[in-house]
Amino acid sequence: MSAIATTSPAAPAPRAPAAHEPPANPEAAKRRRRRILWGVTLIWIIGFVVFGAAFGLKGHKNNKFEFIQPYHLETWAHIAGPIDFNKGVLYLLIAAALTVGLTVWVAYRMQRRPGRVQMIVEWMYDLSMRLSRDNIENPQMALRWFPVIFTLFVFILFTNLIGYIPLPINTGDTFKLFGAQIPAFQIYAADTNVALPLVLALGVFIAYNAVGLKAQGVRGYLKSLIPQGVGGKMLIFIFPLEVISHFLRLLSLTIRLWANLLAGHLLIDFMAGAMAVLLGLQLIGWLTLPIGVAIYLFEWVLIAGLQAFIFAILTAIYLGGATSRH
Amino acid sequence: MQPLAGIISAPIASSSNSWLITPNVGLTIWTLVVFAICLFILSKVAFPRIRKALDDRRLTISESIDAAQRTREEAERLLAEYRERLAEARQQAEQIVQRARQTAEAHAHEAQADVEARRQHLLEQTRREIEAETRRSIGQIRREVADLTVMATEKVTRRALTEEDQKRLVEDALAELDFETLTGGVR
Repeated sequence: MSAIATTSPAAPAPRAPAAHEPPANPEAAKRRRRRILWGVTLIWIIGFVVFGAAFGLKGHKNNKFEFIQPYHLETWAHIAGPIDFNKGVLYLLIAAALTVGLTVWVAYRMQRRPGRVQMIVEWMYDLSMRLSRDNIENPQMALRWFPVIFTLFVFILFTNLIGYIPLPINTGDTFKLFGAQIPAFQIYAADTNVALPLVLALGVFIAYNAVGLKAQGVRGYLKSLIPQGVGGKMLIFIFPLEVISHFLRLLSLTIRLWANLLAGHLLIDFMAGAMAVLLGLQLIGWLTLPIGVAIYLFEWVLIAGLQAFIFAILTAIYLGGATSRH
Repeated sequence: MQPLAGIISAPIASSSNSWLITPNVGLTIWTLVVFAICLFILSKVAFPRIRKALDDRRLTISESIDAAQRTREEAERLLAEYRERLAEARQQAEQIVQRARQTAEAHAHEAQADVEARRQHLLEQTRREIEAETRRSIGQIRREVADLTVMATEKVTRRALTEEDQKRLVEDALAELDFETLTGGVR
C-alpha cells in the first residue's frame, strides 16, 4: 500500500511550528546543529587539502597590494572647494537617511500596540531618554539634550551597522562583469575615516563645555574641574592635568570610535583574504577565513552597538558633569 | 617570511598613507551638515510625535491600572458583601431548618396526641356499641328463652299456663342461664 493511501484524508495536516516557538524536540535540534557544525568543519578541512594541493605551500610576497587602500576616499564627484562626493559621504547619507527615515516613519505610525520596528525605535528612544535623565541632574536640561543623545546613538549605530554590508563601492579596484567595469565589493563604514568621529566628538566637546560655562559661569566651571579636597600648591599640578584630561576626552571620544571601527574592518579584511594576497599564499586565506567570519559576527553583533552606546553615554555623562557642581 | 606586524604596519606607516589619520575636510563638513539636519528633522518632526504617543500610552496604561485597581477593589467589596450575605443566608437557613424541625416535631407530637385521642374515642364508642348490642341480644335471648319455656311447658303439661305461672317459669329458667360470660357482668 502506498504512503498516500495509508494517509486518511480527514487527518489534519501537521502544523508547521512558528518561528518563535521552541523546537518540538530539543534533542533533534541539537543533533541538527551538530551535523551542520561537522559539515562545515569537513568542508573546511577538504578545502584546506584542496587549496594545499592546488596552490602549494610556497608563497610569494605581493608588494603592490595595499590592503588599506579601499579606505581611502576617492573623489567620485567634486562639488565645491574641499567638498567632494565619495563613498564616505555616500555611507554618511545612507546612515542619515536610515536614522531619519526609520524614526520619522515610526513617529507617523505610532500604534498603541507596537510592532517590531516600532518597538526597536521605542527601545532606542527609551534608552536615550534614560541615558539623558540618569546622567544629567537637571530634568529640563536632560530633556533639552535628549535629542542630541538619541541622534548620536542612532546615527552612529546605523553608520556602524551598514559598515559591515559588502557593497560594490571600491572604485579603486574594479572587476569585469559582462563587459562592464564593476567596483569591487568591500565593507566600509563612514566612521573608519577619522573625520566623522572627530566632528561628532568636537560637537560634544564644545556643547558640554558651553553648557558648563553657561550653567556655572567661567569661574564656577573652572572651579568644578578641580576635584574636591584639592587645594593649595597641589592646584598647580592638578588643574593643568584636569584641563588636559578634558581635551583628552575629545581625543578619546574620537579615537575610540574611529580606531575600533577601522581596526575591526581591517581585521575582517585581513582574515578574510587580504593576508593571503599580501603573502601570496592561498592556503592562508582558507585557513584564516573562519576567524574572519568570527570577527565579522563579533563586530556586527557587539561592537557596532556597543560603540554607539559608549559614545551616547559618554556624551550624557560629560553634559551631566558640566552642569553639576562637584 | 616577513613578520605579521611588519606586513600590517608598513603600508600604514608610510607617508603615502597619512590620509588614514588625517580627517577628510569634505567629510567633516558633510558630517556637520548632515548630522545637524538629522537632529533638526528629528527634533521637529519625530520626537514630539513619539513623545506624545508614549505619553498617551503611559496615560492609558496608568488609567487602565487605576481602572483595574478600582475594579479589583469593587470586586473585593462585592466578594466580601457576598460572603457576608452568604453567611447571613446560611445562618438564616439554619434557623429556618431549626424552626421547621421544631415545628415538625411539635406537629408530630400534636398529631400523635390527636391520633391517640381519636383512637381512645373510637375504642370507647366501639365498646359502648358492643355493650348496647350485647344488651339488646341478651334481651332478645331472654325473650326467646321465656317464649320457648312457656311453649315447652304448655306442650308438656297440655294446658295453658296462667300469667303468674309463666312469670315464675321464665324466671326460674332464666335464673338457671349464665349470662355472665356474654355480658361480662353487664345486665
